[in-house]
Amino acid sequence: MSKILLKKKDREKKVEKPFFTERKEYRPEGVKETGLALVGHEISEDGYVMNQFLHYDQLYTIRHGWNSRFFKGLLEGKIWGTRCPKCGDTWVPVRTHCWNLDCNLQKTEWVEMPLKAKVHTWTVAGWSGRSSLKRLPIVLVYGVVEGSKVAIANELHGIDPWDVEFDMPLKIVFKPEEERVGAVTDFHFEPADSWEPSPMNEEKERIKHLIEPVYDWVKTFK
Amino acid sequence: MTRKVCVVGGATTPFDYGPTGFESIEGGAAECIRETQEDIPEFSLRDIDLMVYSHFSVHFGHQLAAEWIIHDHLGLVGLPHYRVENGGNTGGSALYAAALAVMSGHHDVVGIVGWETMDSVTQSQGSEFIAMASDIRYELMVGGIYPIYYAAMANKWMKDNNVTEEDVATIGAKNRNNAMDNPKTQWYRNENRYITVEDVMNSRLISYPIKKYDCCLMSRGVAFVLICSEEYAKKVNPDRYATIDGMGLSSCTIRAGDRLNFPGWTEQYGPNYPEMTEFGACRNSAEQAYKMAGIKNPLKEIDFGEIHDAFSTSEAQIYKALGLADENTIAQFLRDERTHMHSDIPMNPGGGLMGYGHPVGATGLMSTIECFYQITDMVPSKHLSRKTEVPDAECGIVNSHAGTGTSISNFILRRH
Repeated sequence: MSKILLKKKDREKKVEKPFFTERKEYRPEGVKETGLALVGHEISEDGYVMNQFLHYDQLYTIRHGWNSRFFKGLLEGKIWGTRCPKCGDTWVPVRTHCWNLDCNLQKTEWVEMPLKAKVHTWTVAGWSGRSSLKRLPIVLVYGVVEGSKVAIANELHGIDPWDVEFDMPLKIVFKPEEERVGAVTDFHFEPADSWEPSPMNEEKERIKHLIEPVYDWVKTFK
Repeated sequence: MTRKVCVVGGATTPFDYGPTGFESIEGGAAECIRETQEDIPEFSLRDIDLMVYSHFSVHFGHQLAAEWIIHDHLGLVGLPHYRVENGGNTGGSALYAAALAVMSGHHDVVGIVGWETMDSVTQSQGSEFIAMASDIRYELMVGGIYPIYYAAMANKWMKDNNVTEEDVATIGAKNRNNAMDNPKTQWYRNENRYITVEDVMNSRLISYPIKKYDCCLMSRGVAFVLICSEEYAKKVNPDRYATIDGMGLSSCTIRAGDRLNFPGWTEQYGPNYPEMTEFGACRNSAEQAYKMAGIKNPLKEIDFGEIHDAFSTSEAQIYKALGLADENTIAQFLRDERTHMHSDIPMNPGGGLMGYGHPVGATGLMSTIECFYQITDMVPSKHLSRKTEVPDAECGIVNSHAGTGTSISNFILRRH
């Protein structure tokens, strides 16, 4: 991961323009923007059907705009929320305008949140999107960050998957600073230090039984 | 004030995944219309005065504005057209848009073509494409795909409602077994076997408590529905049309975690609803549809339904949101198999998303077509036998559902 500091140039006067002074590149090896490219085809034995293979790859800029502080905060190991100055409702994930119709799209203010949460609901995934397959099984929880009115999804680490339970207390743990990219994957949940798993029961045995083949399967492509 | 809207015909291509017998999207649309013309010989393409296209993802289609290809292939150049996209509820929303056009009096005969080609990428890439309809800044990145979000919601719902894995597994088996009587369904064409609740329980874990046979199919398919004014229906198909007596469309948050206490819902239904467990947009759109159709007791007044069984768990959650059962009765409702063919309110006799398939833009239209076939006594000619016919069906519900319950529509169809 390389960090480039850019020199400040003359600003455009007429409109306020951000000037980007810091840029990091962490492109995985082999990721290239090729645009549209036909990369092959196949024809059926009887000659009636043809399939063609199209590769399409594109670099997108996710412009975080007014939500930027949340994602920049992740780089710094902080969870930022927003709060409505009128009604006091507070959110992680953030809202830049209040959701209460009576507050009439009141602009919200930023507030740093405690690194504590609670499990609202959970699941243990044995299958996922292409980019997540190697991390299976994944314990995904919707956790309510202390003070927030909503729940945020993230992975729960540091636990045997079958031990996860409703309402369990969580702490928010960040990756080492040099590995952070300003995305929600910079942090995960772990059980709070005070928490102890409950004894095995029928449901836990069932989950354990269901994920055994997942461990074996993941080994085949690691 | 408004005119009656009728469903007068429709058909789908066979639903598939992979290289089997695909015509092309425009070829599929043409074949659906040709089949509709066989059912209604009086119907001419010249009668159509608006085309609505129903398509979810250009990621799958690798073609922007693919409706323009279909439209001109059908020879309809000059006719007004537009596309509706609303996630998994794209089909329902296209039907809603088309019905409004007829209701307004501005259009008389509206064609709706829906399609999706989900086999243009691998299954896992496809799952990730679909998950791009979640908030990618917060959810996609953390290993999230739709079955995982649904599993997290269902897990709590099942605990809150005393519903077990076996209870919902009955739905996964039911819909696939219904599909075995329907030759266009993906399950019949690709797997072609009856399954048991045990098979569902033993299928591989997707995300607890959801397993492979609790999930719908990823599909390729095209569907066509013809809706119109009653005058036109009487002219071309006087004995076989259904009226859309009620319809509703509602919305909920994109991120399921945002609906624990959303002010708009609290105002309408009180605190802690829909929570992460209930489908508020389903309840709300059903209430709109029931009111319009004059339905007071849905369990007694509706004979059957074609509903959005993306997962067996969500079909169970939908029963509750439709008011067929409440928190005290839902578990027993499932155990009594009330929605199986042999019982009082069969759900997804056509096979549903788990049996027929789920080519997103075509799905809500497929449900509409199956509902229409039941109401117009066409099942014996469209299915393999009368096993999946709802005898004397007078009133059916069509349900189309998007996101984590983010957009949901319901329609009440009646025999005229």
